[in-house]
Amino acid sequence: MIAQMITYLRERPTVMKWIFFAYLGFALVFDFFADRSGAHFWGDHVIGYWALFGLLGCLLMIVFCKGLSHVWLERDTDYYDK
Amino acid sequence: MTSSIFMHPAALFIVGALLLPLFRKFNAQKIWLVVVPLLAFIQIRYLPASFGTVEWLGFKLQFGRVDQLTMVFLHVFTLMALIGSIFGLHVKESGQHAAAWLYVAGSLGTTLAGDYLVVFMFWELMAFASVFLIWYRKRRRSIEAGYRYLLVHVVGGMILFGGIFLRYQNVHDLSFNLIAPDTATLGDYLIMIGFMLNAAVPPIHAWLPDAYPEATVTGAVFMCAFTTKTAVYVLARGFAGYEALAILGAIMTLYGVGYAVVENDARRILAYHIVSQVGYMVCGIGIGTHMAVNGAVAHAYAHILYKALLFMGVGSVLEMTGRSKLSELGGLYKYMPLSLVFTVIGGIAISGFPLTSGFISKSMVIGAAGADHRILIMHMLSLAAVGTFLSVGIKLPYFIWFGPNDAGIKPKEAHWNMQIGMFMAAFMCIFLGVYPDYLYNMLPYAVDFHPYNSYHLTETFHWLGFTGLGFYIMVKYLKPQDVSNLDLDWFYRKGALGFMWLAKKPVNAANEWVSNVYQNVGLRFTMATARALSWFDWEGIDWALDGSAKGMIKAGEQTRQFQTGKLQQYIGAAAGLVFVVLIVVVLV
Repeated sequence: MIAQMITYLRERPTVMKWIFFAYLGFALVFDFFADRSGAHFWGDHVIGYWALFGLLGCLLMIVFCKGLSHVWLERDTDYYDK
Repeated sequence: MTSSIFMHPAALFIVGALLLPLFRKFNAQKIWLVVVPLLAFIQIRYLPASFGTVEWLGFKLQFGRVDQLTMVFLHVFTLMALIGSIFGLHVKESGQHAAAWLYVAGSLGTTLAGDYLVVFMFWELMAFASVFLIWYRKRRRSIEAGYRYLLVHVVGGMILFGGIFLRYQNVHDLSFNLIAPDTATLGDYLIMIGFMLNAAVPPIHAWLPDAYPEATVTGAVFMCAFTTKTAVYVLARGFAGYEALAILGAIMTLYGVGYAVVENDARRILAYHIVSQVGYMVCGIGIGTHMAVNGAVAHAYAHILYKALLFMGVGSVLEMTGRSKLSELGGLYKYMPLSLVFTVIGGIAISGFPLTSGFISKSMVIGAAGADHRILIMHMLSLAAVGTFLSVGIKLPYFIWFGPNDAGIKPKEAHWNMQIGMFMAAFMCIFLGVYPDYLYNMLPYAVDFHPYNSYHLTETFHWLGFTGLGFYIMVKYLKPQDVSNLDLDWFYRKGALGFMWLAKKPVNAANEWVSNVYQNVGLRFTMATARALSWFDWEGIDWALDGSAKGMIKAGEQTRQFQTGKLQQYIGAAAGLVFVVLIVVVLV
């Protein structure tokens, strides 16, 4: 049953995409109404600060880690056996 | 005295482990595997505040000291022992279960210990019992990884013991309590380094991602829960408020997650991710405020359950398909949907989704960093949370169960007992998220923290949602490749090869030269001396001690039969002997 449900959703990627974007929109709208009395620093007062942090953090982390792996750290899985 | 030591939950697991083969003989191993951890889980509620105090060689050893901090860890350790044992019910080898239980016993013993000698004793038990969980996989790589694991932990144990020794010399007090940062001496720092090795704090962390992916399926489930979290407990007990821990902890969170983003083997990803998650706890302990220590402890509790759940999920895939590399998996959702659901629950819990255990614990540590005005550390921890969702929340399930390629295999769903184990852990992940007070009421300090406020929710909605967007944009660059990444274990793995080269080439050449000289010059002299001595032996000694030579030859023959030459058996026998000595010392 679970597998059928997932297959059903996988066959409708456009719908899934719009649901996801709708969620992102909701998260941004929700930010306007959040209570900021417990803010720790200036960034907590900026609308969408953590959204930008999440997106940039994710992109930079992928670029940095994948890059470092490719140019330096990457080895065959039997590297130590040789 | 005798009765109070049997009250010790570690004794329950040790006796349970020793009796396992007997129960196996009567086909009751499965029942015993559930009964013992269940008994322990119930029994810890009835422990007195102090028990099992023993005088030994002038030292006062305390085997049982129970307070609020001990209790949280006892609670989750025994619960985890129950879940892990159920997950491993299908494993027939009693030895593997026995190793797991002795390991649990070591962990419980350390948690309950009231002084450093008892800590050390159980600390070593943990290392020596857990290495068998790696060796039982019986592959060449596992055997090698096991030896490395053991060597690193023996070094860590020696550093710890050196610290304990120096501490005794300095203050003549081995009771295990908080050491104030301004009074700490070299000995105390050595103890801290010994603890940090088990907590896998970089740069002494590489043993963890080296060993855990090589362990057995159930072995990894146990290992991910106990070693690092026992280390978190001892750090919280002895070293709360050390600035070094706050900084190293924050670095750890990013170090571990960085590797988790690029690694290919699912269990290696999870192993690196332990480093990251334990970083939150180490950081919280380092910050040292009540809220931060509470957060570290709460995070340890939550983490044990969801990380074990994740190890169970990918362990099920490994058990059913024989594969754990993301590059060799994909499209399994049709065949193992329940394992998928459980793993995703673990994945969203570790990422800190609202209504899961990660949300109510991780936010405490990050919040404590913010409340203590450590904005940089707060951002490092938040960035690690982003990486967590990216690597374990999305990447791992995506490439195993969905992915761009179908692996073309049709495995069966995991065994029933594995599903029960996963269900129990998944239930706890959600239960703690919905009812955080269950956990908060157990914490060492009173909690004044409400995770479900609108600001914290919006923050979480944002970083989860937009990390998802980042993954969506970059998914083609994240496609797993069959490679592995260098880490600091390079130094001792390649260093060992260098040592071998040194032994083979220069040292060997020198040896050859010396033996040549010896053969030409020394040998003649030695032979002459030997002939003279031999004459003296026959004519003088054997005449005086008639018959002793024969007896010696016979004894030698008998000893030879014990020496199988297998190091594993020696270590097993030595560990067994330690227990016999321990039991005798304690009971007499």
